[in-house]
Amino acid sequence: MPVLVLALGLVGLAVSSANHRGALSALELRMQSYVYTVLAAMEVDPSGAFEVASDFADPLLLQPGSGLYVQVSGSGGEWRSPSALGVDLPAPRPVSAGISEFLEPAAGGAYFIYRYGIGWQQEEGGITPFTVSVLVHGDEIRQQTGAFRKGLWQSLALAGVILVLAQVLTVFVVLRPLRRVEQDVARVESGRAERLPEGYPPELEPLARNVNRLLETEKSNQQRIRHALDSLAHSLKTPMAVLQAGLPLHGGKAERSMQNALDEMQHLVATRLERAGGSARRTLAAPVPVKHHLERIVESLHKVHSHKMIGCELKLEPDLQFFGEERDLLELAGNLLDNAFKYGSENVAVSGGVNGADRARPGIWLRVEDDGPGMPPERRDALLQRGVRGDERVEGHGLGLAIVQELVDAYGGEVTIENSAMGGAAVEVRLPPS
Amino acid sequence: MRILLIEDDERLVESLGARLREAGYALDVSTDGIEGLYAGEEFPVDLAIVDLGLPGLNGLEVIRRLRQRGRDFPILILTARSGWQDKVEGLEAGADDYLTKPFQVEELMARINALLRRASGHARPQISLGPFLVDLSAQRLLRGDTEIELTGYEYKVLEYLVLHPDTVVTRSELSEHIYEEDADRDSNVIEVFIGRLRRKLDPDGSLNPIETLRGRGYRLALAVTS
Repeated sequence: MPVLVLALGLVGLAVSSANHRGALSALELRMQSYVYTVLAAMEVDPSGAFEVASDFADPLLLQPGSGLYVQVSGSGGEWRSPSALGVDLPAPRPVSAGISEFLEPAAGGAYFIYRYGIGWQQEEGGITPFTVSVLVHGDEIRQQTGAFRKGLWQSLALAGVILVLAQVLTVFVVLRPLRRVEQDVARVESGRAERLPEGYPPELEPLARNVNRLLETEKSNQQRIRHALDSLAHSLKTPMAVLQAGLPLHGGKAERSMQNALDEMQHLVATRLERAGGSARRTLAAPVPVKHHLERIVESLHKVHSHKMIGCELKLEPDLQFFGEERDLLELAGNLLDNAFKYGSENVAVSGGVNGADRARPGIWLRVEDDGPGMPPERRDALLQRGVRGDERVEGHGLGLAIVQELVDAYGGEVTIENSAMGGAAVEVRLPPS
Repeated sequence: MRILLIEDDERLVESLGARLREAGYALDVSTDGIEGLYAGEEFPVDLAIVDLGLPGLNGLEVIRRLRQRGRDFPILILTARSGWQDKVEGLEAGADDYLTKPFQVEELMARINALLRRASGHARPQISLGPFLVDLSAQRLLRGDTEIELTGYEYKVLEYLVLHPDTVVTRSELSEHIYEEDADRDSNVIEVFIGRLRRKLDPDGSLNPIETLRGRGYRLALAVTS
């Protein structure tokens, strides 16, 4: 904006000064032409006396006070144009023959003056010098250039206003697609879209393409890392199974310590290595419908624990969504529910809801209860205490809860174990918004 | 009982196979998915143990196809993939239970036992057979507090009959489920086992626990309840 004002100002100054110079040179030409008009009407006698026939066609020379005055001065006297009647003119100043001068009004002076010195050739050979002065009142030119300047600045101001409006409009039009990008990125961020849509203006297409490529790279990197860690975990487990299958159930001291070492390895692989692949949580993961996946788990557990005839009640807030990895949700719910089915005698209840509903990607809470024997407080602490070695953990709930704890830690949430009103254990998991 | 083990790790097949045979199961082994699928379709299998990461055809697909083709014996997944996503997918494909590597062999035996029992409709491992009690998990036969000693093959024949009550079981069926596919079978041997079982169950000849239906096979004549 200031640049625009400055540029328009400079243009104004340049145009107005060019106009001023043009007006002056036009004036000079015009004044010169009056010199010739007057010379043409002049008669000089050999004595040097002269007269001018005042029958000019131009009324400006005739009408008194018209602003245009001509003086002729020489040795034979002085002549003034009829327009100079009653006008106070500066005294004439002689100029040598063949010389002309053009003067702008001096300080305090009112007239532009053009003087032209001539030598009048007499028939008998003498030369009589004259000076013809044309005076034009400065007001005329000032009015002319003033009117021009006024018009000029008005036009420039109008142009400025139009340019500013055009600029505002352009900025608005140009920025509109950028605002769309902003909204689309926000949609991706909140998990409502997986990638930026098509159909941006050509200038923005490369940006959208690059963002999409970045998203895909991130996804595939994640998959690659997970894949590598998974296959490492898997390839460790089969040799471990071979070792395990070779160990007798009731062996001696050596076998027992091998068994302990194997148990610890198993624990580390399950809680650390496998979770390292899973807990690299994607901030942009699409939301996972909680109910659907819990139902899958419950159905699977009914199959595995079919001899127990457990009744499972599912109470979830409608349309509950998990903003994280599907496999993390299955892992959490699978381990919690598996324990409940294992230890419950007839009934298991699952409830869940939103944690931080005001957020774009809220967290969830899940509570799994059973009517089994429950867990004494000292066991709960041991189960949730970090850094406890596998063989020091309480058998039974152990590994499943350890995996839950690792996962919940990765999400920055918390696990609490309490007594359920149903008689058994109640394990509650709270995951914060992402 | 005849078990099909589909597992590609030969060391595991070796050590696990030894333990399963030791426990009295007839065992068929396939080390890839395609062969395993064929064995599952063609052999009289009572239970299959399937690894998920198999060459040829993956375990999930083997299970899916076996179920599509109407094979309804229990299937236990044995895999290194311990995630619940894999467990749920495996169970949804038609498996009945899931055990992750590494595992205690005793745990596997207990699962196999439970699956076989459930497949024949028994909820508990103790099954009463007239005045006897058959303990499927301990593989013992009791009358009151007294254990009746049985050899491995005698027990296997009795177990098969107990898990198929009210059914006429042919000699060849018995030999198929007791011997492995490539074993040198002689169905006359079954007759010998049945004779020994009858003498052990009914030394004074008053119970007639196993009926012979001439030209058809054998049937348990005692009431089986769990």
